[in-house]
Amino acid sequence: MYPNSDAALPNTALGNTAFGNFDNAGFDNAGFDNTVFEMAVTLPANLHARPAGKLAQAAARFSSGIRIDYGAKSVNPTGVLAVMSLGATVGTVVTLHAEGPDAEEAVQTLARILREAE
Amino acid sequence: MEHPVGIVLVSHSAHLAAGLRELLAQIGSDAVPVAAAGGRSDGGIGTSYELVEEAIRHVDRGAGVLVLPDLGSSVLTTRAVLDDHPRPDVVLVDAPFVEGAVAAAVTAAAGADLDSVIHAAKQARDVPKL
Repeated sequence: MYPNSDAALPNTALGNTAFGNFDNAGFDNAGFDNTVFEMAVTLPANLHARPAGKLAQAAARFSSGIRIDYGAKSVNPTGVLAVMSLGATVGTVVTLHAEGPDAEEAVQTLARILREAE
Repeated sequence: MEHPVGIVLVSHSAHLAAGLRELLAQIGSDAVPVAAAGGRSDGGIGTSYELVEEAIRHVDRGAGVLVLPDLGSSVLTTRAVLDDHPRPDVVLVDAPFVEGAVAAAVTAAAGADLDSVIHAAKQARDVPKL
């Protein structure tokens, strides 16, 4: 069982699904915690300027590499204009993906911002 | 955030600069000092040396100031101010007015330094809107 899978469960209850949460066991860098975390979020509102701004500000605080996927598009959420250019609309699903030492915290934080968007 | 980078919006129209400033606050950059230097001192359409100079002073918190012009004489007027008061940390930036301001404000709000904020504003030119 993955160590952090419980943390993702409440999101399932909210209609969001945690896809993966695993230590990169094959990584041979002692002391370097390189984890991958991914979560799908159903948007409660259009991903317009305001939530995109909040997302970009929050994303800049993490050291993990983060991307947000929507259909065939994939952007770095630290770019507010790139996030707006996704044109993601209410009721559709975006997927947050992070890779790095604070991957889970990054995805959980950004998912919360998306879920609380109005 | 310790000291955010300041942003000055220079436009021929007071309404245009003020409206953009309002938009930036909505996007969550209310922690970033943003000043609108729009129109002439008498309220007409045009640009004002004094308004630009005052706006730069108003948003300067010690971390640098990015100045975004809309077009034409906004550039010339800002250059005149900066020629008279040359400072390495007050920079006139060539970027789309609305998109550049949004990118700069969000980046500054995240605590980025002047170079990163300038980079974000310039990058706005290459991000497709659709």
